[in-house]
Amino acid sequence: MNFDLSEEQQLLKDSVDRFVGDNYDLETRQALSKNDAGFSDTYWQTMAELGWLGVTVPEAFGGFGGNQADTMVLMEAFGKGLVLEPFFASAVLGTRAIVAGGSPELQSQLLPKLVAGQCRLSLAYAEEQARFDLEDVVTRAASSNGDFIINGHKSMVQHGGSADYLVVSTRTSGGQQDQQGITLFVVDCNSEGITIDSFPTVDGQQASEITFTDVRVSSADMLGELDNGFELLQDIAIDGILALAAEAVGAMEVLYKDTVAYTQERQQFDQSLSDFQVLQHRMVDMFMEYEQCKSMLYRATLEVVQQGREAMRTVHALKYMVGKNGTFIGENAVQLHGGMGVTEELRIGHYFKRLLVIDAQFGNADHHLSCFAG
Amino acid sequence: MDVDLSSQDLEFQQEVRDFLATNAHDPKTDYGQWRMNWFELAKAKGGWDVPKWPVAFGGPGWTPTQHYIWEKETAVAQTPWDLPFGLSMLAPVLMNYGNEEQQQRFLPDIRARKVNWCQGYSEPNAGSDLANLKTKAQLSEDGSYYTVNGTKIWTTLAHIADWIFCLTRTSDTGKKQEGITFLLIPMKQAGIEVKPIITLGGSHSVNMVHFTDVKVPVENRVGEEGKGWGYAKGLLAHERTGLAGISKSLVALDFLRLQASEVKRGNGTLLDDPAYKAKLAELEIDLLATEFTELRSLASAANGAEPGPESSILKLKGTEIQQRIQKLTVEAGGIYSAAWGKKNVGHSFAKAGMSGYLSSRAYTIYGGASEVQKDVVAKNVLGLKKAK
Repeated sequence: MNFDLSEEQQLLKDSVDRFVGDNYDLETRQALSKNDAGFSDTYWQTMAELGWLGVTVPEAFGGFGGNQADTMVLMEAFGKGLVLEPFFASAVLGTRAIVAGGSPELQSQLLPKLVAGQCRLSLAYAEEQARFDLEDVVTRAASSNGDFIINGHKSMVQHGGSADYLVVSTRTSGGQQDQQGITLFVVDCNSEGITIDSFPTVDGQQASEITFTDVRVSSADMLGELDNGFELLQDIAIDGILALAAEAVGAMEVLYKDTVAYTQERQQFDQSLSDFQVLQHRMVDMFMEYEQCKSMLYRATLEVVQQGREAMRTVHALKYMVGKNGTFIGENAVQLHGGMGVTEELRIGHYFKRLLVIDAQFGNADHHLSCFAG
Repeated sequence: MDVDLSSQDLEFQQEVRDFLATNAHDPKTDYGQWRMNWFELAKAKGGWDVPKWPVAFGGPGWTPTQHYIWEKETAVAQTPWDLPFGLSMLAPVLMNYGNEEQQQRFLPDIRARKVNWCQGYSEPNAGSDLANLKTKAQLSEDGSYYTVNGTKIWTTLAHIADWIFCLTRTSDTGKKQEGITFLLIPMKQAGIEVKPIITLGGSHSVNMVHFTDVKVPVENRVGEEGKGWGYAKGLLAHERTGLAGISKSLVALDFLRLQASEVKRGNGTLLDDPAYKAKLAELEIDLLATEFTELRSLASAANGAEPGPESSILKLKGTEIQQRIQKLTVEAGGIYSAAWGKKNVGHSFAKAGMSGYLSSRAYTIYGGASEVQKDVVAKNVLGLKKAK
C-alpha cells in the first residue's frame, strides 16, 4: 500500500508544475483565452516536446505508454493552473478512442501525429435531447456502398473549433436510447458537409455546435465494431471523468489555499478575517471536502486501472463528489473573499467557473448520484 | 501508487481470517464465559488479546497495516465487546509514565479484563475546555496521601467500575494546563458517590461522580505532580487511528440495507423509495471516500511518516457517518421508531434503532466535540491562529 507518486510521475508532476508556474499567471491566461483558438499554439508545441501529449499512447507509436494514473498527475497539475490547451479533449478523450478502438492503420496514421502535436482531436458525443445519457443518440450513420453517410447535430463539443478530427458517436441501428446500435467514427473536420459553430464557454474555454449534412466516412474510419460502440464510448467517458476529477481536485486545492491566505491578510474589525471562528470552521470544511475528493479520485483511478469498466460505480461516486464538493468549495471561496470574490480580478472566480463547468461535463452530481444508487 | 497488500500482509490477513473463523463465533449460550475464553485464545495466539500494546508489554507489535487488517476483519466477524478505558486509555499512560511497580500492579488485571476502569476527566465546568478542571487534590503534610474533593461528570460506566483514573488539580498558580495531577483511585470506598445520568436513549451508561475527602495514597500518583495534562495528551496521541470506526460503519451499512429491505412500501420495499435511496447512496459515497482517506493516513503511518493532513479529518467524518447510519435506521422504522419501553412493535429493529440514534448524538460531542476538532484542524493544518 502506497500513495506516493512513482519516480516518473514525480518528474512529470514537477515539469507540469514548472510549466504552469512559468507560463500561467492569470493575466496571460485571460489574454490567451481571448485568442481565436482560445489557447496558445506555442504552449501546445511545448506540451508535445515534453512528451505530455503521448502520455497514454503506446510506446510503439512514440508515446509514454502510461495509464489513467499518469493522466491524473498531469490533469491535477493543469487544474492548479487553469490550463487552456485542449489536452483533455485531444490527449485524453480523442486519444483513448483511437488507442482503444482504431484499426492498426488508423493508429499508425494518427497517433504519431498526436504525440508530436501535429493534429488535435475532440469528442462529439452530446446531443440536446440526450441530456447526460451517452446512449441517447439520434445522429445517424447510414451505410452506403461500403461507406457511411452521417447526418445529425452534435452539441457542446469542447474545443471542436480547433480540432482536426472528431470522434463522433452515431446511431447505425436500434432505437434512439438503445445501447446496441451505436458506432463511433473518426471524421476529418475538413470533410464536406460539416459546419462548426464555435463560441466561448463560461470557464474561458471554447465549445462548438457541429452539424453533419451527408458527411461521408469510410469504414476504415470506424472505431471498434459496427453497432457495438457503446462500451468504447463508456470507456472514453470513464477516462474523461477521471481526468476531469483530477483537474477539479487541482482547482479545489488552489481555492481553499487562496482563501486561507486571503483571510489571513484581510483586516476587518481590527483583526484578520481568519481570526473569526466561523470562517475558520468554514475553511476546515473546504479543506476536508477537498481531501475527501482526493481520496475518491485515488480510489476510482486505482480501481479503473485494475478493473476497467467494472469500476463504473466508483466512477459515479467520484463524479458526484467532485460536482458537489467542487461547487461547495467554489461558492465558499467566493463568499469568504467578500466583494473581491465576485470580481474578475482575482483568480478564484475563474477556478470557480471551471469547477461549475466540470460538474456539468459527462453528467452532473445528481445524474451520477442516481446512477450510483441504481 | 497502489492499495495492494504486500505478500506478508496478505499472509497475515489469511492468518487472522483463519483464527476468527475457528474462534470468533457467538455460541449463543453463556456469552460471558465464551467472551473470556476468546481473550484467552487470542492471548495464546501471541498477544492478540492486546493488539495495540507494544511487544515489551506482551502485545503483538503489529505494523499500522496489520492493525488495519485486524480492525477490518474483527468488525466483520463481530468479536466480543471490549471496553477501552483500561485497555487503550490508561494502559498506554502507565506504560509511558507509570513506574514499574504500577505497571506490574495494574496491567495484568487490565489485560485479563478482570478490573473495570473508568475515566475521570470532564467536570461540570470543564468540558471542551478540559484544562479548566477544579477537582482538588491536596497533598498531606507528611507527603503520604492526597485528599480529593470535587465532581466528575459524563463518567462512562462509573457505576460498575472498580477504579477511576482522574485528572485532579494540585496547583492553581501558573497556566491552567499546569498543576494537573494524574491519580488512580479505587471506586468502592466511602467518600465516593456515583449518581446516574440517564441519556436520551433511555439508558444508564454515564454518571456524575462526587469525591468528598477521599484519601489517595501517593503511590497511586502516575508520574510527577503537576504533569498530568501532558500524560493525558500523550494518551490522545495513542488513539490517532481507529476513532473513525470505518470498518464498523461498512458492516453497519450492510445491516441497514438489510433492515430497509424488510420495510414494505407499495409493491416494493423502502429501498425502492427514491428519496431514501439517494440518502443511502450519499452515505455510501462518503463512506467510500473516508475509507480511502483512512488508507492514505495508514499508508503514511506505515512508511513511518507523521500523520498527514488527511488523518485529522477522520474523527470528524467517521462520527458523522456513524450518526447518519443511525438516522437512516430511525427513518426506516417509520412510525414504529416511536414505540418505547419494553414493547417491540412493527419492524424488529425499530425500537433499538431509535435508542441507538439518540445515543449516537454523543459521538460528535465526546472525545473532543466536532467544533473543537475543527479548531484543531484550523490551527495545526491550516496554520491559523487560535480563534476567540
